[in-house]
Formats: sequence, C-alpha cells, structure tokens
Amino acid sequence: MTGRFTRIAAIARKEFIHIARDPRMLIAVLILPAIQLVLFAYAINYDVRNVPTTIVDQDRTPASRAYVATYRGSDFFDVRGELPDVEAVDAAFRRGDVRIAVVVPPGFARDVAAGKQAQVAVLIDGSDPNSAQIGSTFTRALNTAYGQQLQATWADAQGVDMSSMGRLEPRVRTWYNPERRSTDFLVPGLMVVIIMIVTTQQSAVTLVRERDQGTYEQMLVSPLHRVELMVGKLLPWTILAFADMVAIVLLSQLVFKVPVRGDLGFLGVSMAVFVFCSLGIGLIISSVAPSMESANIAALMISFLPGFMLSGFAFPLDSIPVVLQWASLLFPGRYMMEIARGVFLKGVGWAEMYDQLVYLCIYAVAAIGLSAWLSGRRSR
Amino acid sequence: MTPNPRDITVPDAPAETPAIDARGLSLRFGEVVAVDAVDLHLAPGAVFGLLGPDGAGKSTLIRLLASVLRPDAGDAEVFGHSVSTEPHLVTPRIGYMSQQFSMYPDLTVAENLEFFGTLRGVAPDDRRTRARELLRSMGMTEFAGRQAQYLSGGMKQKLMLAATLMHEPDLLLLDEPTTGVDPVSRREFWRIIASLHQRGKTVLVATPYMDEAERCTHVAFMDSGAIRTSGTPAQVKTLVPGTLYEILAPDPRAALASIAEKPGVISAHLYGEVVRAIAETGGPNAADLEATLAQAGVAVDRVREARVDMEAAFAYLAEFGDGAS
Repeated sequence: MTGRFTRIAAIARKEFIHIARDPRMLIAVLILPAIQLVLFAYAINYDVRNVPTTIVDQDRTPASRAYVATYRGSDFFDVRGELPDVEAVDAAFRRGDVRIAVVVPPGFARDVAAGKQAQVAVLIDGSDPNSAQIGSTFTRALNTAYGQQLQATWADAQGVDMSSMGRLEPRVRTWYNPERRSTDFLVPGLMVVIIMIVTTQQSAVTLVRERDQGTYEQMLVSPLHRVELMVGKLLPWTILAFADMVAIVLLSQLVFKVPVRGDLGFLGVSMAVFVFCSLGIGLIISSVAPSMESANIAALMISFLPGFMLSGFAFPLDSIPVVLQWASLLFPGRYMMEIARGVFLKGVGWAEMYDQLVYLCIYAVAAIGLSAWLSGRRSR
Repeated sequence: MTPNPRDITVPDAPAETPAIDARGLSLRFGEVVAVDAVDLHLAPGAVFGLLGPDGAGKSTLIRLLASVLRPDAGDAEVFGHSVSTEPHLVTPRIGYMSQQFSMYPDLTVAENLEFFGTLRGVAPDDRRTRARELLRSMGMTEFAGRQAQYLSGGMKQKLMLAATLMHEPDLLLLDEPTTGVDPVSRREFWRIIASLHQRGKTVLVATPYMDEAERCTHVAFMDSGAIRTSGTPAQVKTLVPGTLYEILAPDPRAALASIAEKPGVISAHLYGEVVRAIAETGGPNAADLEATLAQAGVAVDRVREARVDMEAAFAYLAEFGDGAS
C-alpha cells in the first residue's frame, strides 16, 4: 500500500516539474483561462442596450416631437438623427447604421388631439433576432406607457378623474438575476467551460507524450499500475484547475461584479470532481490517440463543442432536440453547469444539488477507469 | 569439414535456472513475422551479444523478453518465470534499456534516476546512495543537475543504463546501447558492461557492431526474425572454413574484381580500403592470389593471411548462413 502511494506521489511530483519547466504550459494553464474569461464575457453579451435608432418625423408638430423625445430619453435607444422618409430607412438598415426606425406619419398630432387612435410605425431590423425581439418588446412597452400618459392628460383636460378607474397592471418579476444581466448568467458557465477546455487539452497529450518519449515502456517494466499512473497525473492538474477556479471567482467578483450567493465549499468540492471528469476524458483521448496532433484536435473538439452546446451554457438543455439532450448526459459539463449557476445565482448548496455531484462522481470513476483500461489494451 | 552452424548451441548450466529460456517465441505484426520461433538459452552470468542487421527483429525479441510485448506463440522464461503469464515476477529482476532515449528530457539526471528508482520500488536512502554511486562510476557526477536533453549522446546512453541499474536487476536487456555513440563513449560503455559481468550480472545486448561481439561471452546472429547462428565468439569463428586473406592495393576495387571469381575463393568483400577474401582449405594461398592479381595487371601493396574475426565470420554467415557452402 505504501508503495502505491509512493509511486503516485513520484508521478505527481514529476508532472509538477514538467509544468514548472515549460513556460508555455504555465501560460496556457494559469494565464489563458483569465484572458478567455474576460474575452468571452465581453464578446458573448446578450444585454441589449443603446440600439442605434433613427426617427422619421413626418408630422413635425409639438406633439410628435414630445413623442419622439421619449425615445431619446431611454438608454435602450440610441437616437442618431432623423431621416426624411421610409426609403432612407431601408438604405440605413442595409448599411447597418441603425436597427430601429420610428416613423411618425402626418396627422399624428391631429389624431391625438381628436382622441382618435394615433398610428406610429416602428420598423425593426430582424437580422439580429435577439435584439429585434427585445427591441419590439421595448417599443411596445414604451408606447403603452406613453399612451397611458396621453390618456391621463386627455382625461385631465376633460375633467375626468382617472384615479378612480380600475386598471389592470401586470407586474413581471425576474428572480435570481433581477436585472437580467447576462454576465451574471455567463460567468459561472464560462468558468465551467474554460476549466473543461484547459484540463481536457492538457491531459489529452500527456500519455501520448509518454509513449513518444519511450518512458511509457519503462513504466511497463515497473510495478506501476495503470490506475496509479492516471491518478498521479491527475493530482497536479486538479490543483492547477483549482487555482484557475479561484482566479475566475475573484475576477467575476471584482471585474464583473457577479454575485456569489451559495456555498463556496460545495462549489469547490464539485469543481474538484468535475476536474477529474474532464481529465478523465483527456486521458481517454490520450489512450487511443495515435499522435500528439490528433490528441490535441480530438481534445479541442470534445471539450469545446459539447462544452458550449451540450452543457446548457449557450442554449437551455430543455430547448435542444431530444437526441442531443441524451447526448448531453455523456458530458460532465451539464452537471457542473447546474451546480455553478446554482451556487452563483440561486445561492444553493449541498441540500439542493447533491444529486448533480453524485452524477459527477460516477462520471469521474467511469472515465478514469475507462482510460486505464483503454491504455492497457493498447500496450499489450 | 563445414559444420552446420545450427548444430552449435550455448551450453546450459544444468544446475542453475537459466537467465533466459525461450522456446518457439514468435510475434507477428500483421503480415510481417518480426520474431519467428526463436529458441534462446542464456546461462546466468553470460554477456550475450545479439547481432544482426536493422530490421532483423532484435528489438522485438528484446521487448518480448522484457514483457513489454506479448508473444503470439511460444513463451520465454526469465529466471524461471514466464514473460507472458507472470510478467510481474519477471520485471523486478530485469533492467530494460530501449534503443530510443527513454528518459524525461526536461528532468535532470538526478531527477530521472530518483523517479525511475522510485517507480522500481527502491527505498529512499538506497535511491540516493545508488544514484550517487552509479553516477560516480560512470564519471557523470558533475552532470547530476543537468537536464537530460542537454546531455551528449554518450552521456544520454549512460544515464539510461544508470536508470536501469537503480533497482539492481540480475538481467540487463540492452537494445543497441552504443548505436550512434562516439568511439570513446562506446569503449567506456563496454567497460561498464564488463564490470557488470564481473559482478555476476547477465547481459543481453543487441548491437549492429561486429567488433563489439568480440567482447561477449556468447553471440547469436539474427536475421529475418530468426536466430541463424549462435555460440561463443570462438565457436562462431570456426564456422568459417579455409583461410582469410587481406589484400592491400592502390585500387582495391580492381583487386576485388580480379580475384572474386577465382576458383577456390569462397567469398571476397571490400572492408573500407581492404579486400578480404576467404580461400577454401587447400585452395589458393597468398602467393597464388598475388600471382592472379599480377596476371590481371592490378598493382598490389601486400597480401597477408589474417585471423578470422567476427566481422569476417558474420559476413560469411550472412552469405552462406543456412549451412550451404
């Protein structure tokens, strides 16, 4: 038994020396994740703000100017001048100068004054569906508010007391992320994806390198068991991935102001198990890959695509096709994604999420066992 | 007069468990038979030279004996334990040095020894004293802190040998340890093998260099996966019938051409700038050869009788190896 731990420690120590003496690897492991987090968090931003907007005011009355001013006053719309007619809007959409055009037709002031239904056209560039969706919701809300204001003004003018009139007002509240800031949602997910990519990538080449160097043969003539080799190789990477996790949590607090509401201890334990899962995937690749290049590419494909697509990071898992939902069970990202978002945003811990951790544990044991079996089958 | 080379085998020491006892050991890679029904017997304490050209199957045979590969057919016992069914009893007693450099290039000499010593289960105190002692005996003490990738070719080979010696194995399997190493380092490497031999270790060493075969207690010649000839160097040399002559001439190629077809000349080859010809017993002598050359109008500096060495023996056996002469 002591021999076993001595050998695992020897492997782990040797791996640390490899990492410490390779500056490129140090950068890849300790600095790139932070850069990736910042880049991704800024690049993937679902928040819609300052949408370039133009105005076509064909009425040119004080009433129409008052209406248009409400757009200027909102930080959702960035009003960039006015255009003479609807044809000019088409040209502006094509050039991509603006995404929303508000057209106030002639007779707007007259209709409002007469108490008639006044018409305005809001044209939205639908080529970016996300901002189009939000844009249309936003203009509708703005127009409803403005309409109510007009009603109140009109009623006041007519001497009617509107306050006694019953009104239905829906109040929609978003929980956990009340402002619906997408960074709050993205950063915990990014932590999962980045750590998966880094660890899978690094462990995927490790056994291939041992084979290329001929050192694997020397291990074969020693009492070292394959599982000992795997565990010894995992330990240093687990510690480094932990450093990554701490860095990412700190960055998300300090730079992105993402709240961490839940149990950090639970997050840490889950992350350790998750790192074992990712490294296990890397070792499986390493066991079957014929060369360093193919190991690298395979690791990239397997960590990147399912990491983003099948983890619930980019799309909610309920909304992807059923076949892919099944496929997502094969990658550890989805379990960790639940845990990370749960801890960051919902403030949960052991009691609510232990089942996801159990899945991760099962996954880790299976992945490391499979990699040991595969590497044994190959060499004999 | 010409004994069949296959008749000579290395005599077993009957009282002792053989260091290696292989019977019908075979391994094929797809269509290629890498090792073809090899029988091999090594008494403890032998220095056994495995000779043969590239691709003869020497490396594969050594890896089978090291239990790194599993045979398709046949088996080998190392100190009485099967390499296919009891590899865990074989590996503690062997040291295997592959042809390829198999140390971690970014680890220092001392770290490599420490690591492989630990894997082999050497106790911490023994690891330190043995590493120090091995490095001292190999003249590498001052390189202990150098990363393996910055060592010279000869130093790299010595480091690998030191790593395989950390757990004090009884049998060393060395796959072309001196290939690509400068002559001075080669001589030094063999001095180390000689000292291991004196301490009673068994050594199986593959080499493409015929001169190294002279330093072995036993040799075997391998070709196309099979062992063609084996015996002591003296026995192997007696397989060459007749007399060996060396012809020194200003134009050795012309000299070779004029005597190659002469009746009674069994074999003639060029070694560097020297023509070596084997004449059958009762065939032409030095004077006859000189006369033939003079007749052909080829200038000759000297024709002399030479002692048959391993180089000549294996050149002969490579040509007539299957007993046909």
